[in-house]
Amino acid sequence: MKTSDVRKQRTLAAETWRRFRKNKLALAGMIVLITLVLIALSTIVIDLVTDNAIYNNYVIKQNLRLRLQGPSKAHIFGLDEFGRDILMRMIWAVRYSLFMGTIAIALSTVVGVILGSIAGYYGKVTDNIIMRFMDVLLAIPSMLLATAIVAALGTSLTNVLIAIAISYVPTFARTVRASVLTIKDQEFIEAARAMGASDFRIIFKYILPNSMAPLIVQSTLGVAGAILSIAGLSFLGLGIQPPTPEWGSMLSSARSYIREGWHITVIPGLGIMITILALNVMGDGLRDALDPRLKN
Amino acid sequence: MKTTTEELIRIENLTVQYETDDAVVHALNDVSLFMRKGETLGLVGETGAGKTTLARSILRLIPSPPGVIKSGKIFFDGMDLLSLSENQMRAIRGNSISMIFQDPMTSLNPVMSVGDQIMEVVEAHNKELSKAEMEKQALSMLEMVGIPSSRSHEYPHQFSGGMKQRVIIAIALACNPTLLIADEPTTALDVTIQAQVLDMITALKTRLNTAMLLITHDLGVVAQNCDRVAILYAGQIIELGTLSDIFKRPTHPYTKGLLGSIPSLTKEVRRLSPIKGMMPDPTDLPPGCKFAPRCQFATDICRQAVPPSYQISDTHQVRCVLANAEVNNG
Repeated sequence: MKTSDVRKQRTLAAETWRRFRKNKLALAGMIVLITLVLIALSTIVIDLVTDNAIYNNYVIKQNLRLRLQGPSKAHIFGLDEFGRDILMRMIWAVRYSLFMGTIAIALSTVVGVILGSIAGYYGKVTDNIIMRFMDVLLAIPSMLLATAIVAALGTSLTNVLIAIAISYVPTFARTVRASVLTIKDQEFIEAARAMGASDFRIIFKYILPNSMAPLIVQSTLGVAGAILSIAGLSFLGLGIQPPTPEWGSMLSSARSYIREGWHITVIPGLGIMITILALNVMGDGLRDALDPRLKN
Repeated sequence: MKTTTEELIRIENLTVQYETDDAVVHALNDVSLFMRKGETLGLVGETGAGKTTLARSILRLIPSPPGVIKSGKIFFDGMDLLSLSENQMRAIRGNSISMIFQDPMTSLNPVMSVGDQIMEVVEAHNKELSKAEMEKQALSMLEMVGIPSSRSHEYPHQFSGGMKQRVIIAIALACNPTLLIADEPTTALDVTIQAQVLDMITALKTRLNTAMLLITHDLGVVAQNCDRVAILYAGQIIELGTLSDIFKRPTHPYTKGLLGSIPSLTKEVRRLSPIKGMMPDPTDLPPGCKFAPRCQFATDICRQAVPPSYQISDTHQVRCVLANAEVNNG
């Protein structure tokens, strides 16, 4: 009796965590991401406490005499084309690169899931209106679309976020719609309808939980893409404005100096790569952990 | 036959069609039927006779398009189900009328624990209950169908087919429905489990005084579980009566044929006598009696007009001109 009580009380979150823990790679990915989040949060706190002193003196202060200096004891990642410490810039950039990518994708996932499930579930005219609109968005290259949106709304962090989020909505809507279409004709959906479940309940408790797998993979990949898109916008002068550090803009502005100093491109590139890798392995692990059918 | 005389559901002249681009499928043609509270009505027919369409019409779950309820009325507890709004209908589904589906393997949500799935239906119809009360109700339903409540947090794939069907029964009965529609509840199970599941359904429905519409093509199941029997052929009820009316005094040639096609324990028969021919194409039904093309007694009258239903006793009605002749002669 006692054991059954304990087992009953285990919530879905606890159950998922128990399964997630077994996947060491995913766990490593999560640790990397948590570290990055902590770094980002601590830089925000440091800025607040020191009134941007460190930011002004170490992150954006230029020292042209030492430009492009390679890694050394004083500057383990070396200095960039304006003589700024790359390590400091990398650390201060985490908040923009990681948070903006994540927030943008979170936004477009929410919008995409809602639009996609409505389109897939109701079908017919609703489906046509929503999906044709998505097709229009999809027909415009996402970079061009984001550029246009930022140009129209004006350059600011929020507008960049909105632009990136909008350009990723169609991919999510399509993914969700496809899985809704395969799931909505299954018998358990009909059984749910026969027990008096409303459309809302059917979509959110029966269809969406069953279409989680492609969605999680899509979002983790999406964050990676969004980080690159933000970098691209920054490169065009529409994203994050210099001298604010951001991995993507650091990477793109360093391109012209790749022959003089390899480190200034490699370090931000590695930063992006590791973050994306961590996101992907964690996404994979999460997908497996959330699927009770794979439970052992 | 412990039945009260109170009427629970009455179906009048129900006609349902599936309208596709190529043809109109006449799934149900002028079906009339009633059930009393607490009784079990067996609905028997071949594949494609319209059994499932009838069940879904009651719950208004005909896939539409292409399905259309052309005419007819369904009165349940005095309400005309076909005139209710979708919201009112939703309040009835799973609450006062619930349904057990054919295949337990696919009728449960694979990513929701069975306890939660029972709670779902309780929650959908009893918003005022607290979470703890709902959970208690769900656990007691599980115990009632013979599954230890400690397994409530497990997922459908961890249960066997028979146990899944029990979970589905628990879901169907969780809100104490007055009518349970069981659409071939045992077809997907093996024979030993079939008997167990049916015994359980019958025991529970007697305990809860639930009426049951048992859809099946197994006459053995009907004989063991039903009070009355309706025989459906090509979307029409061709014979309707009590268990003894149908099994002891089958009148319609089709019913006789059905009973002749099951082996008897008492008679020595070298070969079973199946009914020759096939059920007519539901997109192109014969104008007269639907069974006429296969009937050895068919006359020109049968082929010209659909025979009316003849009441040959208080409980027994038959849609065949021969029955009329019998009444007149006897």
